[in-house]
Amino acid sequence: MTKSGADGSVKRILIAEDEPNIVELLTFILERAGCLTRAVTDGEAAIAEIRREAPDVLLLDLMLPKHDGYAVLKSVRASADNAGLPVVMLTAKGQERDRKVAESLGVNAFITKPFSNQDVVDQVLALAGTGAAAR
Amino acid sequence: MAVAAPIGMKVRTRRKAQGLTQKSLAQKVGISASYLNLIESDRRAVGGSLLQRIAEQLGMELADLSGDQERRLVERLGELAADPSILQHHIDPGTANALVSRHPDWAAAMLSLSRSVRDADQQITALTDRLDQDPALMEAVHQVLNNAAAVRSTMEILSSVEDLPTEQRARFVEIVLSQSGELSGTAERLVALFSAGNTRNRSLSPAEEVDDFLIQNQSYFPPLEEAARDLRREIRSFGQTIEGALTAFLQQQFDISVYNRSPVEADLSRFRNHCHHDEANRVLIFLDNAPPSTRQFQLARLACQLTAPDLLDTVARDELLTSDEARTRARGALASWLAAAALFPYETFLEDAVRHRYDVELLRQRFSASVEQICQRLVSLRKPGAEGIPFGFLRADPSGHISKRFPIAGLPVPRSGNGCPLWPLYGAFQTPDRVIRQLAEFPNGSRYLFIGRTVRHEPALFHEAPFLHAVMLACDVVHADQTVYADGLDFAARHMATPVGPNCRLCSRSDCLHRGEDSILYSR
Repeated sequence: MTKSGADGSVKRILIAEDEPNIVELLTFILERAGCLTRAVTDGEAAIAEIRREAPDVLLLDLMLPKHDGYAVLKSVRASADNAGLPVVMLTAKGQERDRKVAESLGVNAFITKPFSNQDVVDQVLALAGTGAAAR
Repeated sequence: MAVAAPIGMKVRTRRKAQGLTQKSLAQKVGISASYLNLIESDRRAVGGSLLQRIAEQLGMELADLSGDQERRLVERLGELAADPSILQHHIDPGTANALVSRHPDWAAAMLSLSRSVRDADQQITALTDRLDQDPALMEAVHQVLNNAAAVRSTMEILSSVEDLPTEQRARFVEIVLSQSGELSGTAERLVALFSAGNTRNRSLSPAEEVDDFLIQNQSYFPPLEEAARDLRREIRSFGQTIEGALTAFLQQQFDISVYNRSPVEADLSRFRNHCHHDEANRVLIFLDNAPPSTRQFQLARLACQLTAPDLLDTVARDELLTSDEARTRARGALASWLAAAALFPYETFLEDAVRHRYDVELLRQRFSASVEQICQRLVSLRKPGAEGIPFGFLRADPSGHISKRFPIAGLPVPRSGNGCPLWPLYGAFQTPDRVIRQLAEFPNGSRYLFIGRTVRHEPALFHEAPFLHAVMLACDVVHADQTVYADGLDFAARHMATPVGPNCRLCSRSDCLHRGEDSILYSR
């Protein structure tokens, strides 16, 4: 737990995912990569948590209860303070439609389940260093 | 004259079995032998007391000779003759009478086979659509991917992290075991869902192949867009107004004259979309009642066909189009596409569409176009990097039949037949000329904004009735707020959405009050 972003600072990752096992695994691999994580299990909580304290990267599941991933992403991009927050969309639906919709809403990266741990870590760290991401 | 029911062969066979000549039977029932001959060869309809006398003399029940059963067979064979899958045999429906008369068993067997083929076809269509529309299946697939993700991620940790504390290692092993267990259970459910049969490739009609071809290309053809730009530039040099320029262009470049004709004098069987291109005489004839938008469009379409035949051929050479008929149809569709691209230039059209928030009425007036032309051009705004909202488009006639379909990815539109009666595509017929919008939610949870309205074809003369059909645009709800049609609608309130389906047969909403027929999703 010594490294995180390229600049050496510890990166804060918010995991929005409703499958408890997946949350546990993502937490483990990201913390091993030096990140600080916190997790929420529905879309409403994700929006509230970002408002309370914006993370460096949002790892966002598409199929969330209450507000789905699209609604969360839309709310983030429309917000005054966090419009540039880097978002990695995580989904069990790898369909082209989901990717296109997510892209049109300004997602930064898209990972489909089943994912490789390394891929998740690489994508998250790559975006964590970018700060305010270009839309 | 009433068509004779094919009972003649029955009478003749029975008469001969009883050892009677035509003359003797004719005498017994009080008619001439030549008249009986006409009856036996199905050239005279027979009924009433004469039929009763014949039945009595031959010792038959009247019902056997009423011809009702045969008449039904003949009618159904007539329908079969019009089936697109056997059109190439050019069967004359008029010969059904003879077949039923001479070989009733063969006729019945053919109908029974055609019914089996139709049932199988519907079942295959349903199975093909099923993955997108069956919530149980979607849920199962979603669960499998979640379980697989957990197993894969845990196994990667277990195999790559050497310094795992014993307690944590035990926890990860537990995750693998529980997730593998769930995976087996979900796999069994999937097998059960599929146990009714497997999907396979069905043979498609030429029209369906063209639909697939357009959908595969997302209704966007870069070479045609480029050709349209050049063509537009060239045509504009022929006149001030588009219609005038197109007319002069056709006259000067291709020696084609444009005329109008009264619908009373025209051979209407040659006209399609209010016009007829007489190649031999080098004329394009419009019916007097052709609206200006149709004139402009058909002039452009012919200009495109004549200017770019090789290009249309090249684009229509696609592996999805497997027959000459499919390629010919595709060339026609592409010519229309090219005409639209020439009349409504991409950049200008997109800019106006975005600025006016996809208001079809406003765009229609701006481009002197019909509602349908505007809707189809909106669908084609798929240029990478300069895309409009992804729109789907459907057109239906008052019988409910969907005559045009450009679905967008994910929108569960059945491949054939009618759609859901709750779509504004059908509701529009109740309030002609008014735009109806609907926030629609499908059983799989996907939500779309539907915008429907009717389009009226004005009658050409007093004795003709106006004809309505309905058109509908569809876009994913995430894009809806970019359109005027979303104004005042609350998309966050899920309970405001209308629960719809693809159509009754493919819909899982067992509690829908509007169900017209049983769903096949859970019946097998």
